[in-house]
Amino acid sequence: MTRRLLTGNGAAAWGARLADVDYVPAFPITPQTEIIEQLGAWIDAGELPARMVTLESEHSMLTAAGAAAATGVRVFTATSSQGLLYAMEMLYTVAGWRAPFVLVNVSRALAAPVTLETDHNDVLAARDTGFLQLHCATCQEVLDSVLLAYRLAEHPRVRLPAIVNLDGFTLSFTREPVEIPEPAVVRRFLPGFDPQSVRFRASEPVSQAVAVLGGTPYSYFRYEMHRATEQAIAAFEEVAADFERATGRRHAALETHRMNDAEIAFVMLGSFATKAVDAVDRLRESGVRAGLVRPRLVRPWPAAALRESLAGVRGVAVVDQNLSMGKGGILHAELASTLYGVPDAPVLTSFIGGLGGRNIAPEEFFQMASVTREAAQTGQAPEPRLLFTAQELREVRRLQGIALAERHETTHSGAERSAP
Amino acid sequence: MSEQLRSFFGCGLDDDRTFDLNDYGDSIPRWCVGCGDHGVLSAVKRMMRDQRLLPERTVFVSGIGCSSRFPHYLDTYGFHGIHGRALPIATGVKLSRPDLDVFVVTGDGDCCSIGAGHWLHATRYNIDMTVLLLDNAIYGLTKNQTSPTTPEGFETNTQPHGTYLPALNPLSTALGVTNASFVAQTADWVPAHLLATLKAAYEHVGFSFVRILQRCPKFSAPVFSEQARTPDLHELLFHSDGITVPSLDKIYKHRLEHDPSDLDRARSLAEDTERTRLGIFFKDATRPCYNAIRHLPTYTAAQNIERLNRELDRYAV
Ligand SMILES: Cc1ncc(C[n+]2csc(CCOP(=O)(O)OP(=O)(O)O)c2C)c(N)n1
Ligand code: SF4
Ligand SMILES: [Mg+2]
Repeated sequence: MTRRLLTGNGAAAWGARLADVDYVPAFPITPQTEIIEQLGAWIDAGELPARMVTLESEHSMLTAAGAAAATGVRVFTATSSQGLLYAMEMLYTVAGWRAPFVLVNVSRALAAPVTLETDHNDVLAARDTGFLQLHCATCQEVLDSVLLAYRLAEHPRVRLPAIVNLDGFTLSFTREPVEIPEPAVVRRFLPGFDPQSVRFRASEPVSQAVAVLGGTPYSYFRYEMHRATEQAIAAFEEVAADFERATGRRHAALETHRMNDAEIAFVMLGSFATKAVDAVDRLRESGVRAGLVRPRLVRPWPAAALRESLAGVRGVAVVDQNLSMGKGGILHAELASTLYGVPDAPVLTSFIGGLGGRNIAPEEFFQMASVTREAAQTGQAPEPRLLFTAQELREVRRLQGIALAERHETTHSGAERSAP
Repeated sequence: MSEQLRSFFGCGLDDDRTFDLNDYGDSIPRWCVGCGDHGVLSAVKRMMRDQRLLPERTVFVSGIGCSSRFPHYLDTYGFHGIHGRALPIATGVKLSRPDLDVFVVTGDGDCCSIGAGHWLHATRYNIDMTVLLLDNAIYGLTKNQTSPTTPEGFETNTQPHGTYLPALNPLSTALGVTNASFVAQTADWVPAHLLATLKAAYEHVGFSFVRILQRCPKFSAPVFSEQARTPDLHELLFHSDGITVPSLDKIYKHRLEHDPSDLDRARSLAEDTERTRLGIFFKDATRPCYNAIRHLPTYTAAQNIERLNRELDRYAV
């Protein structure tokens, strides 16, 4: 085992390398590009006996990934944001093929307006595709999750592709010390891909990706995917336990921090949850019994574990780094349905924060904690809120002012010039 | 848009405004020093000034890439799209507002890779617009990956031991599409030719496709550096119906008369890449334009009332 400073992107590439992938279809996009470039360099240097092909778009890349996995080889690919969305048609399709492989998504906010930094609307748009989803908060977790994701995706009771998600910039370009397990250790945890029925074999031709006519067979196949995803909860327990035995690192479906006697809790996804860890510690210092729950698995959705870890908690602040227009936070809606009808369920408050990489400051966590405590006391949750300061609003207004003045100037001088 | 069309739409002609280059935008672009995009931008502004384009009747549409930053640096209407989708955006704009002059600025990745499907169909629709393909033979914005036009053997971050496949030829591709109506090539390092080509492309009614060889000193410098220094590696196509730039004759010795109505010859000239050929390869203004054959006739209010009455009369008892 070696310990090295790796970026989140570097860790993702190491995950693929250790998984001994056979095939890497690729297409560049910021902030993911480093991953495929690193793999390309290793393949070129003869350090990774895989084949890589750069295609003309993410749509083709995902198609090639699914098709290659369906022939029975181990496939890795990576994308981000617009790329994931462009491939969306194929996400549904290849998941329906039941071809397991791993797709790393480096989250980046979606256009329009075009931007580069992170939020989760991209990956959550893939929520219902049939891909499993593992969300990471540290670079170590990125490497480990790629390995976990292969085991989970290839599990005989699951057989679905998996997305490993990391946040653009905050993780993709941040260096952290990462333990790189020995290849032999990984090999024991993750043997070569056993494609079982999903494969091309000489003299045994089968037709894949067939069409069905009518709702009956269609419902059957779609529901099978749902069942397989549900079974991935138990499969993950098994896989995570094996991983712990192999490496000493435990990755549960839910990551919790100081939840034992927590009165209020934050629920968040991804690397921004590390900001909540710090806020929770400070709140504890000032006597507030706060805690944090971070779902690592989003699909399958760890409903039972969530109910269990939030039992006894009085108020939960759900911080969504995404926005479902006209509804609010996606995580909030998921959690609300999970807790609905549970006796003594906590009151949920909803906050939208970190859109397009916007920071969430410690004071904002304190504020959310106080709003949530109050909601717990009164039993009344306020309307969902966007984390946005008066200072930020002034800044936007200032920019709008400049734009308005420029437009006025252009129109004005144009009119002057056109006077006969 | 031609003068004829302008008068049809009743725009521009009655407007005797003149413009200087800064009227089309005076912000400082954020491209690298020495990037060919700077030269293309100034040629575009000069063309607009010379043709007296009205900023408020001009639209620049782009996708994503270094080259696609273009609309930010122009005080016209702008549409910074998403990667690969410049052409359908421009199609939507032009079909709903045929009175506007529509320009598309796209890159070799944007047009020939992720957006290639649109390229083929936009060429066939032959909608009246001017398309500038800024071909630097690399994905520039994402920092140095092989694009479809990267020369075989050229080392990039995705193909470090050299690009595997022969480069796609955008000219042959465009010339191969049914209903193509204008295909030209020019280079950022021959400003006079660039300007003349932009004018010809703008004046052509139909889908004017101009491949502009564009230097990217940051990532693909070797691709064009020798060419840019050596006029003898070029061959200028000239014709009374094509582009003639007499001021270049002294420097660019190799010249070839080529009638742009000759599609077969255009194809063979495009296919042979021994020399860098600059000029109009093909031009045919008689090819059907989607916007013209499908455009809705405009009626006066009186005509509309009359049409309405006629329609109502059909139901009269
Ligand atoms: C759907 C999607 N995939 C990938 C990208 C990442 N991306 C941005 S620009 C670009 C290539 C740009 O190359 P080119 O079009 O040649 O423009 P240049 O930067 O060279 O001018 C890529 C792959 C993206 N923005 N959207
Ligand atoms: S990277 Fe290349 S294409 Fe992009 S601005 Fe710099 S020189 Fe121009
Ligand atoms: Mg390019």
